Amino acid sequence: MAMRNWLLPEYIEDVLPAEAARLEALRRQLLDLFKVHGYQYVIPPTLEYLESLITGTGHDLDLATFKVVDQLTGRLMGIRADMTPQAARIDAHMLNHQGVSRLCYAGTVLRTKPDGLAHTREPLQLGAELFGHAGIESDIEIHRLMIKALQALGLKELHIDFSHVAIFEALVKAGNINANLEQALYAALQSKDKASVVLLADSLDTTVKQALMDLTDLNGDASVLQKAEQQLPKLPAISKALADLRIVASQLNDLNVNVSFDLSELRGYHYHSGIVFAAYAKGYTGPIALGGRYDEVGLVFGRARPATGFSLDLRGAVTALMPAVNAKTILAPAGDDKALLSTIEALRADGQVVIQALPNSTSNIVEMSCDKQLIYSNNQWQVQGF
Amino acid sequence: MITIALSKGRIFEETTPLLAAAGIHALEDPESSRKLILPTNRDDVRLIIVRATDVPTYVQYGAADLGIAGKDVLDEHGGEGLYQPLDLQIAKCKMMVAVREGFDYEASIRQGARLKVVTKYVKTAREHFAAKGMHVDLIKLYGSMELGPLVGLADVIVDLVSTGGTLRANNLKAVETVGDISSRLVVNQASLKLNRAQLQPIIDSFATAIK
Repeated sequence: MAMRNWLLPEYIEDVLPAEAARLEALRRQLLDLFKVHGYQYVIPPTLEYLESLITGTGHDLDLATFKVVDQLTGRLMGIRADMTPQAARIDAHMLNHQGVSRLCYAGTVLRTKPDGLAHTREPLQLGAELFGHAGIESDIEIHRLMIKALQALGLKELHIDFSHVAIFEALVKAGNINANLEQALYAALQSKDKASVVLLADSLDTTVKQALMDLTDLNGDASVLQKAEQQLPKLPAISKALADLRIVASQLNDLNVNVSFDLSELRGYHYHSGIVFAAYAKGYTGPIALGGRYDEVGLVFGRARPATGFSLDLRGAVTALMPAVNAKTILAPAGDDKALLSTIEALRADGQVVIQALPNSTSNIVEMSCDKQLIYSNNQWQVQGF
Repeated sequence: MITIALSKGRIFEETTPLLAAAGIHALEDPESSRKLILPTNRDDVRLIIVRATDVPTYVQYGAADLGIAGKDVLDEHGGEGLYQPLDLQIAKCKMMVAVREGFDYEASIRQGARLKVVTKYVKTAREHFAAKGMHVDLIKLYGSMELGPLVGLADVIVDLVSTGGTLRANNLKAVETVGDISSRLVVNQASLKLNRAQLQPIIDSFATAIK
């Protein structure tokens, strides 16, 4: 068999010119958006020691992280699978701000397995994180920034789904649920598998059992919060969570998005600590952006700072858009005529793409996406269609 | 357009009354039609006929919004990206461990024997024996598992048993239940968020119909 040595590994791909140009343009657009909202850009390293990369984030991220041995120290290093903990580390130890800090980042991360629907092991992760404020106002700031970012990408029919991990936490506490059962219930709730919840919760206190069963049905529009208020036990933590969700939803009215609630949604339960959310858009069969509050993560770096943020995979997100097309270019003839060269430079200064033909070469106008050319007529160089 | 993924045979037959409860009637019979996309009386609902093991995959990737899949199939698939809100209580059977008549299963476990297992349900079997603290060697087959112990390919099989007729006919006996199996309604997670107005009434009708 012939060596197919040009083949890439599974779920690893090149981004070709048209798409690459669009990705880069959108990346800049989003980073500019983050910038004018006061989010400072940071560039964390591609790899670092495993302890700092995955501590406190749960087992899932550990499995998702590629590992290599550091030839200088013999220690195990991980190639980042998520940049959020890196931002938390930078906030906790590099910046050491006493007040609020806002950070944003954009970069390639690697995952050992393709992440569900993304079909890639190399997402291009962009995100924004806000550290040092525990109130609901910072959650709202993040939600609004995420929506603006998704709208800037040109995504249609945006849909934001909210949940709050404190509800399940409160039930676990009230029911004295042990760690193994908690893990099993978490998995069952994540898939709204009511049948399994009933089985697992069988030995629990009836109020807690009923509440866990109710959680699987508590999803939908704002009426869900009312229903939850009536159905769930009157624990202070639950009442507070429901009140927070109500406020959060009311702050998005002007942004033209659909809002829903899903109280059994516990994605990232291991490190999230408050409101969590996922954004969905037409044309994408999975969450297109994810985020939430994670007040405890900084603790492993010695400083537990309140934190909330969101991130998205730009490579995945653009698959919900129309296919990218190459920028149209103008073909100029070969030669060093002064007037020709100055015309070309003027067009380029104006942002137009001008390709000057090289001597003794064929200029394939289709390959080069040329739709216009520079022609000398009436004593001057003019742009004309082919 | 709402797409519902189903497999032919028992699951289709037992789902038909549930679909009827939601006001959905297939316009063609999958047993006689060769079409893979079946229209229904509702313009906004269609059925697709796929292999039972493929139902979770179609729904996971959003190629279908809803699907009906056995718990056996879902356990093997892992259920990633799916909601499983309803146990439809249809196509019921058991996942069981079976051995050749005369094979002393209990004794070989006591001795810590390393059993050879043939099954179509590799993940389910691996987890079952791991939970019992047993080391096993798994051999994946796609059908006629009952042959395994008879021709010396394996010591035990893990397979679905509904009446036990096939086991008896092949001189095998069930020795252990791995789990009860029935079919679940599965829902694409993103679809439930984006198309709730269309999906929720169908889910609710199913829920009422099975009560």
